[in-house]
Amino acid sequence: MTTTRALEGLRVIEMGQLIAIPFAAKLLGDMGAEIIRIESCTRMDGYRVTGFYKNDGSGEFWNRAVNFYEQNRGKQSLTLDLAQSSGLETLIELIAISDVFIENFTPRVISNFGLEYDDLRKVKPDIIMVSSTGYGHTGPWSGFGAIGYGTEAACGLAAVTGYVDGPPAIPELPYADYTAGEHTVFAIMAALMHRIGTGEGQFIDVSQTQTLTATVPEPLMDYAFNGRVTETSGNRDVMYAPQGTYPCQGDDRWISLSVRSDREWEALCGVLNRQAWASDPRFADGLSRSNNHELIDELMSSETVHWSAAELQAQLQSVGVPAGEVLDGKALLFSEHLNARGFYEVVQHAESTGMPPLPYAGRPWKFSQTPGEITSAAPTLGEHNDVILADLLGFDHSHMVEMTETGVIGTTPANPRASRQATNETLLSQGRIVRWEPDFEEQVRRRFKTS
Amino acid sequence: MARALDGINVLDLTHHIAGPYCTKLLADFGANVTKVERPGSGDPARSMPPFADDDPDPDKSLPFLYLNTNKRSITLDLASATGRKILQQLADRADLLVENFRPRTLPSFGMTYETLSETNPSLVMVSISNFGQNGPYRDYEATDIVEYALSGIQYIFGDNDREPLKHGFNQAQFKAGTDAASAALIALYSRAMTGTGQWVDISIQECIATGLRDTTSAFTYTGAVKWRRPNEAGELPRSPVATRDGFIVPIAFGGVDWNATVEFLESEELAGERFSTPEGRLENASDLDRILRDAFRQYEKEDLFYRANQRRGLIYGMVQNASELYQNPQYRHREYFVEVDHPVAGKAEYPGAPLEMSRTPWSVEYPAPALGQHNIEVYVDELGMSHEELGQLVAAGVV
Repeated sequence: MTTTRALEGLRVIEMGQLIAIPFAAKLLGDMGAEIIRIESCTRMDGYRVTGFYKNDGSGEFWNRAVNFYEQNRGKQSLTLDLAQSSGLETLIELIAISDVFIENFTPRVISNFGLEYDDLRKVKPDIIMVSSTGYGHTGPWSGFGAIGYGTEAACGLAAVTGYVDGPPAIPELPYADYTAGEHTVFAIMAALMHRIGTGEGQFIDVSQTQTLTATVPEPLMDYAFNGRVTETSGNRDVMYAPQGTYPCQGDDRWISLSVRSDREWEALCGVLNRQAWASDPRFADGLSRSNNHELIDELMSSETVHWSAAELQAQLQSVGVPAGEVLDGKALLFSEHLNARGFYEVVQHAESTGMPPLPYAGRPWKFSQTPGEITSAAPTLGEHNDVILADLLGFDHSHMVEMTETGVIGTTPANPRASRQATNETLLSQGRIVRWEPDFEEQVRRRFKTS
Repeated sequence: MARALDGINVLDLTHHIAGPYCTKLLADFGANVTKVERPGSGDPARSMPPFADDDPDPDKSLPFLYLNTNKRSITLDLASATGRKILQQLADRADLLVENFRPRTLPSFGMTYETLSETNPSLVMVSISNFGQNGPYRDYEATDIVEYALSGIQYIFGDNDREPLKHGFNQAQFKAGTDAASAALIALYSRAMTGTGQWVDISIQECIATGLRDTTSAFTYTGAVKWRRPNEAGELPRSPVATRDGFIVPIAFGGVDWNATVEFLESEELAGERFSTPEGRLENASDLDRILRDAFRQYEKEDLFYRANQRRGLIYGMVQNASELYQNPQYRHREYFVEVDHPVAGKAEYPGAPLEMSRTPWSVEYPAPALGQHNIEVYVDELGMSHEELGQLVAAGVV
C-alpha cells in the first residue's frame, strides 16, 4: 500500500502574510506537507484583523477572520517574537530540522532578522528557501512593497484588460497573488526534485510581477516582434467572433459565450430562433462577424434578455456552443457541477470560535492515489506553540513558561485592534456587495448537510 | 549548469495553451519534453495570432513560439491503430504524460490511464480539461470567457453598471497550465518516494475557483454576495486611476490613516472636514470620487509611483504596457527578457524566467520546434525504427 498523502514527511516553515505565500503553503499542506506558520502577537497578519464571521469584531476576533481561514487551513501556528533573541533562535532551530522555508516580506525585513538564504544554509545546508516579493529580490524596485492590485497593474495584464476604449481594469480581488502562489508551488516542487537527485537545496526568488508577465505573453511578443502595443478590447477575442457577455432575464444576470466557427454561429442562430442571421452576408464568416461585432452584440442582447441564463447555457451547450452563465459567489458555492465533483470541503472550526462547520474551496487538482484533503481549519493564534516547542524541539516546561512570560510566545495579540467593520448594510450602500441573505446559515447548513 | 528537472521524460500530448504552458514550465527548467503533434496541421496554436511580421506561417505564431520553447516535436496520428501502438511505446519510456483533450477523446481511441500505464505502472499522467473528468459539465465546451463566467471571477470583474468583464487574452488557460505543472511535480515527487504513478485530473474551472479569496466565503460568513467594483464607494478607487500620462493603482495599505493620502496628494479639498471620517467619505462619496480623480490627474504616474513607495503604507502600482515593460528598469536589471533566435521567425526578446532558482536556473536552450522536426531523432535514434519503417509510416500518414 502506498502512502495516501503525496508530500508526507515534508516540513515547511512559512513566514507568510496575506495570500501569495500562505496560498502556496496551504496547497502543499493539502497534499500532506507539515506546514508550520510563524506568527507574531505584536504584528498579526493583516487577514487576522479584518472581515469576521457574522461581521463580529468583538472578543477573539483574530480567530474568526474569513480571509485568514481561507488561506491557512491545515497549518500549525507558532507565535514567535523575532525581535527577542530567543524567538529568533527558536525559529532558526526549527528551520534546521525543516525542508523548506518560505516568506513574503520585503528583503530588508528578512535581512534585518538575519534570515537570508546564506544565513540559513549554515544551519541547514540543503534548505530550500523562497522569497516572494512584488518585483523581485534584486534590482532597483526590490525594496518596494506591493500587493496584488499593484503587481497586476505593473505586469502588462491590466493594460490589455478593460472595456473597449475604457481605462485598464482589474478584478475585485488580489488576482496576482494567486498567480504568484501557483508558480511558487511549482518552484518548490522543482527544487525538491533537484534535491532528490543531488541533495542540494537552493534559493528561489519569486518576482510576483514576473510570474504574471509569463502568463500574458501575447501582447509582449507582439510588441517584441511587430512593435505593436495592444489596446483594451473588453470581452472580445482575437480569434472568436462573436464573443461576449450578454444580458439575460432577471436582475444582473448574464451569459458569456464564444463562437469559434461558422457551424457554431449557425447553431447559435438556431437556438435563438434567428436563422436569418445565419444567412446574413454581414455575418457570413469570422472576419465579417468580427467587423460587425457591435451590431451582433446589439442584436444578440435583444434576444438573450428574454432567456434565463441557465436555460440558454443548457441549450447552447447541447448544440456544442461554448456558453456559461455568469455565476455569482453564492451560485458558485451551490454549483451542481462543482459539488458533484466534491470541490467544496466542509471544515470544523475550533470550539472557542463559536463558528459552525463551513465549506471551503478545495484545490486545483484531483489525484487518483494520493488525494489531497483539508485536514483542519486554519489554526487559532499560537494554537500549536506547545506541541511544536515540546514535541518537535524538545523544550522543557519551564523553558516554555519563561518564553510565555517574556512574551516570546503567546496566544493573544499584544494590541488587539480589529480594523473597522463595515456592516452588510453599509457594503450594500457602497455597492461593494450586490445583496445579502439573512438566512444564509440555514441555507449553508442545508446545502452542505453540516448539522 | 544543472537544471531542476534534468532527466525527467515528458510525453506531451497537449495543444492550444493550457497544456503547452504546463510543459513549457517543465521544459524551461530542464525536463525532456517530446511534443506529439497531429500530422499535417500540428498544434492548432500554430495558427493562433498574433504572428511574427503578421505572416500567418505555422512557425510564426507568437503564442506558439512562446509556449513551446525547449520542446521536441514529433508527429503521430493517434486515430490510427499503428499510431496508438507507437504512442504506447513512447508512454512506456515516459515519466510523465500530459494531455488536454476533451475527456471523451482519449478513451474513444481506446486509451485511458489504465491502458497507458499497464506496462509502465509508475507513469504519472496529468489530464487538463475544461470542467474535469467527471460531473454534469464534463463534456461542456468552453473558451476562456466561459471559464471566467462559470468560475465566479467574471461576476466580480468590471463596473457594476455594465456587463461583467474578463482579463485580456488567456488567463484561465495559463492558470490551469501552472497548476498542472505543480500537480505533475507533486505526483512525481510522490512517485520518487513510493514508486507508484497516478492519474491527475485538472479542471480549468476549479483552477480559477480556488483563487477567489472570499468570493464564496463572504456568503458562508455573512450571507453577502460580492459584486463588481462600484465607482463611488467613499474610499480610494482600487482600480486604475488616470494620471496626467497614464494609470496608477493607489493603495493605502494596512489601515494607514486617511491623512497619509491627503498629505501625499497635497489637495486642500480632500483635507476638508466632511472627508475626515469613513462615514463622511461614504456620505460624500460622489464628491470624493471626483476630487480624488482630479487630484491624481495633477501628477505623472512615475512621479506618484516612486514617491508613494518612499512612504510608509502607500504602495502604489503603476500600469505598464508592453512597450513600457520592455524598458522597465527593474526588468532590465534582472535581465528578464531573453533573446531567442528561431530559424523561421527570427530573433526577438521573449518574456523570460517567471522566477529565479539559484542553482538550477530557467533557460531557453532551443526555440519552438518545426512540425515533426524531431521525428528521426525520436523514432529512429530512440525507438530504434529503421529509416525505411519511418518512411512507410510517413507514406501512410501516421507520421
